[in-house]
Amino acid sequence: MPSFKKSLIRHIAASTVLLSTFAGMQAPAFAGAGHSGGHGGAATDIGAPGQLSDVRRTIRIVMEDNFFDQEKIIVRAGETVRFMIENKGEFVHEFNIGTAAMHADHQKEMFMMMEHGALEADKINMAMMEMDMGNGMTMKHDDPNSVLLEPGQSAEVIWTFPKDTELEFACNVPGHYESGMMGKIRLQ
Amino acid sequence: MKQRIVLRALLGALGTVMLSATSFAATYDLTVDYVEIDTGTMKTGGIGYNGSSPGPTLRFKEGEDVVINVTNNLDEATSTHWHGLILPYQMDGVPGISFPGIEPGETFTYRIPVSQSGTYWFHSHSGFQEPDGAYGSIIIEPQKREPFKFDREYVVVLKDKHPHSGERILRNLKMMPDYYNRNQRSLGDFIMDVRKNGLGATLSERADWGAMRMMPTDIEDVQGFVGLINGMSPEQNWTGLFHPEERVRLRFINASAMTYFDVRIPGLEMTVVQADGNNVQPVKVDEFRIAVAETYDVIVQPKDDKAYAIMAESMGRSGYGFGTLAPHEGMRAEMPELRKEAPLLTMADMGMNHGDMGHGDMGKGDMAGMDHGAAPSDNPAMGNAAMDHGSGGSMPGMDHSGMAGMDHSNMTAMDHSKMAGMDHSNMAGMDHSAMAMGNRADPFYAAGSGLTPKAANGGKFLSYADLKAQKPLYADRPATREIELRLTGNMERYSWSINGVKYEDAEPIRLKYGERVRFKFVNETMMSHPMHLHGMWSILDTGQGKWNPVKHTININPGTTVYSETEVDEPGQWAFHCHLSYHMATGMFRKVVVEGGPAVATLKNGN
Repeated sequence: MPSFKKSLIRHIAASTVLLSTFAGMQAPAFAGAGHSGGHGGAATDIGAPGQLSDVRRTIRIVMEDNFFDQEKIIVRAGETVRFMIENKGEFVHEFNIGTAAMHADHQKEMFMMMEHGALEADKINMAMMEMDMGNGMTMKHDDPNSVLLEPGQSAEVIWTFPKDTELEFACNVPGHYESGMMGKIRLQ
Repeated sequence: MKQRIVLRALLGALGTVMLSATSFAATYDLTVDYVEIDTGTMKTGGIGYNGSSPGPTLRFKEGEDVVINVTNNLDEATSTHWHGLILPYQMDGVPGISFPGIEPGETFTYRIPVSQSGTYWFHSHSGFQEPDGAYGSIIIEPQKREPFKFDREYVVVLKDKHPHSGERILRNLKMMPDYYNRNQRSLGDFIMDVRKNGLGATLSERADWGAMRMMPTDIEDVQGFVGLINGMSPEQNWTGLFHPEERVRLRFINASAMTYFDVRIPGLEMTVVQADGNNVQPVKVDEFRIAVAETYDVIVQPKDDKAYAIMAESMGRSGYGFGTLAPHEGMRAEMPELRKEAPLLTMADMGMNHGDMGHGDMGKGDMAGMDHGAAPSDNPAMGNAAMDHGSGGSMPGMDHSGMAGMDHSNMTAMDHSKMAGMDHSNMAGMDHSAMAMGNRADPFYAAGSGLTPKAANGGKFLSYADLKAQKPLYADRPATREIELRLTGNMERYSWSINGVKYEDAEPIRLKYGERVRFKFVNETMMSHPMHLHGMWSILDTGQGKWNPVKHTININPGTTVYSETEVDEPGQWAFHCHLSYHMATGMFRKVVVEGGPAVATLKNGN
């Protein structure tokens, strides 16, 4: 299970970076689209998936029930950070980088996932996640700015931060954000 | 008035923790006293702890051995019950079941090994001392970190304080059951109903209610109380301070004698994180109904620099509690619009649909007061009708494992066992807005019930169906046997019972240590009853299998059947009763005897 998630994200991160190289600019819309930000891509620059070779810093994040082991992260504007995330809890948790507004939208989606049975307190039902909702969208968590982990799983997110945006990292599993499972990202 | 409050606070402070010499035991001293309760508009004599009502907030630590000395300064016997605590039965504080009681002038020493954490409360279990003011709160700090964060916390204890003493209230109820029920339907109501439904239907409906000697307004037996929050009336405005952006934990306790409250904080969403002291998977709501004796812990995060109102309107809308959450001292939140219209019970709450019944067959005599003690309990029409929950509504206790929590009442034709991999492109018409929070029927109310709550702001109202254990206390296994408890009563004589039999005429319920018993509560009355089993947890069946929540008090609404399971793991004998004070007093009560188990050492009083 863990390796599946990792390779998928690496694959998307790599392909996204490749595309932006061709386009000659960062592609923030890509990062935001597909799931949160109203499915249309937010205008806010939340950064972009980063390349392993640009990584200057590694931050380890531990997920527990229902909180992260850190409440605040300070990074430099434009820095590429490698997050190594481990779920040491007994429940499914998410690690998601975005604005508070994006998280609010995402929480609504994750609530629906739970309603549809794609997500239970302690496991992810992969088959249901991949179900086509009828408009080409699935509930699969394959955005480069987030990982959804079952207990015991680990994953990586490599992210290049923007210059100046109010960002938070959060778990949007129903109720977790309100219980305090979120933190601020300060850009210096 | 301010002086009184300061005095009370001082006395309360004196009554809290006194650490003894030994490091693992903390000792507390409580006195039971006659007090004066002054709510501004009403001054009555009452009973309290350490000179005040409510009594102090006791703070225990999970894992410690707590010693509490209770001294009786009254002219009559008293007792103290620790509601929701798991402890040796001799420490449970129920006269006649746990111990003989505490005589005037005596001191009883309770010794409790604390093996849990969360919000609980304590109260007298003698006479009507609890309705008269003998209640206080308990906070047990956990050993491990809790699965939620908060920056500050407040106990918010709700009470329905009546100007009459509990003894006087019962006397009046026995004499005239609707003595305290002001909302009698009038001639004006009759004329309005005739205009709406026609003369025949209206006459027939009135006749049905008349035959049962009940009124559709009988939601609250006892009206005329003042709603209190932490002992303060709306006028006195209990206030909790916060800094904007802080997460505040509110520990709601309903210490009322008879009243359910609908709690909301306009402008603030509440995240429910604990129910009856046990962590639940967090659920965001706009409003919740708290039954007598229940507790709910919620987290709120007020962001604005303004005062928020804590509103607790009684279920029957005859009274309310009001307090303020404010960023500065001396503020008073704006009073939101009160919902004054009292809900009316419907035929659905009677557990039958009017059309199916045919009252001519029953004979008016059998129906009077719904007392089934004499009538055969397996009247086929009643039995089937009581189970009729309307078209396709989900029944509590049903196995929902295949249904993933969805409301299927609109989709009865669909086979969801084959759902994985199904092409949903045809379902594009499925209206997700109807499935959004707040629009689903609550399966714990009879379909078409007049009691079904709606959030004042149209948002999400908490249902038992939303409660899932954060971390199940017990492994899920099938029950070893089922015991049916019919909640019964005769409103005309104001007498309440279980299976048609009052406490004094009943045999104890005998359980075997080590079994897992499944209680089936069938509410054959028109009132909601909060059933409380002492000493052992009740695992409420909300259809979530291993995630069923663990509670100590379970509300059963009229016309419904609710299931709960108990792992019988505490030896001794325990009380099991409806927590509505005047129902408990007239017989809705049983003694539970647990047979077998590890040898129970005789505990000394400690004197």
